[in-house]
Amino acid sequence: MKQPYQRRQAQMQAGVATAEDGFVIMDGPDGVAVTMTAEAALGTGESLIAAAAVAQSQIARRTDEASGSA
Amino acid sequence: MFTERFMKNRRGILLERGERVRLEAAIEDVRTLHPRMTLVRAGEPLHQSLFLIEGIMSRHMDDGNGRRQLVAVHLPGDFVDLHGYPLKRLDHDVGTMTAATVAVVPHSAFDAIVADMPVMARKLWFATMLDAAMHRAWLFRLGRLDAIGRVAHSLSETNARLFSVGLSNGRRFVLGLTQADVAEICGLTHIHVNRVVRTLREQQLCLFRSSLVEILEPQRLAVRGQFDPHYLYLSDATADPSRSERSS
Repeated sequence: MKQPYQRRQAQMQAGVATAEDGFVIMDGPDGVAVTMTAEAALGTGESLIAAAAVAQSQIARRTDEASGSA
Repeated sequence: MFTERFMKNRRGILLERGERVRLEAAIEDVRTLHPRMTLVRAGEPLHQSLFLIEGIMSRHMDDGNGRRQLVAVHLPGDFVDLHGYPLKRLDHDVGTMTAATVAVVPHSAFDAIVADMPVMARKLWFATMLDAAMHRAWLFRLGRLDAIGRVAHSLSETNARLFSVGLSNGRRFVLGLTQADVAEICGLTHIHVNRVVRTLREQQLCLFRSSLVEILEPQRLAVRGQFDPHYLYLSDATADPSRSERSS
């Protein structure tokens, strides 16, 4: 049975990367399906980790501001 | 008859005998084609449309780096570029994927059919609307599904389409495509498709060996690919291939 309509939102689940024949395959989340060289996968992974750290700091700052204004 | 598979087993539409005779008479030439030939290039003026009698053809677009994205696959019984009749030039290329046999229908013959047989003209219009419905399903497939889902959807669709024209028994069909072709259809690399094909085999959903596809669990495969054949407008007799075991 179909679920009610929902707007596309940020994914809560991590994508899964696996190695295949010397390449890295990324499956998901949200329809992502990409094949990368090992070097490209390393670069993507580092970029993801760095961006995730910035995103977490943004959340922390927002939380601090919200509690300061309360 | 060359066109016996045209509009076969479609819901709410039936080509009457007189209409089929008229379509047959409209055929100017029948050509046998080699695999991997480009027949129509984007932007070229068109004066004829091609009806696919045997084989598999594609509509495709290449990106700036020459990487190909298939935007449609045509199977026996399809007009490949009927939309070229009103458009007069296409926005994509048309080519063979396998060896193929096509019937050539000049646009002047369609002019006469449209003038003389408005009901048949509407049926030809219906055929182009089917193409549009499949494009919408392909957008959904590429936009929403993961790699396994895309391949599952594509194989389920191909099975349903071939079943409707008698070229699948509902679970087994010959598909003269490579895994690299499936990759281009599904917007994946052939490495990714190789992995997906192995996974489908391990999950006992589908076997894809050389040019033979065997769907072990059609309904499970359809669920995995979120495939609902509604958009193919198949007759009730052929809407669910998994319920039949007729020989192809």
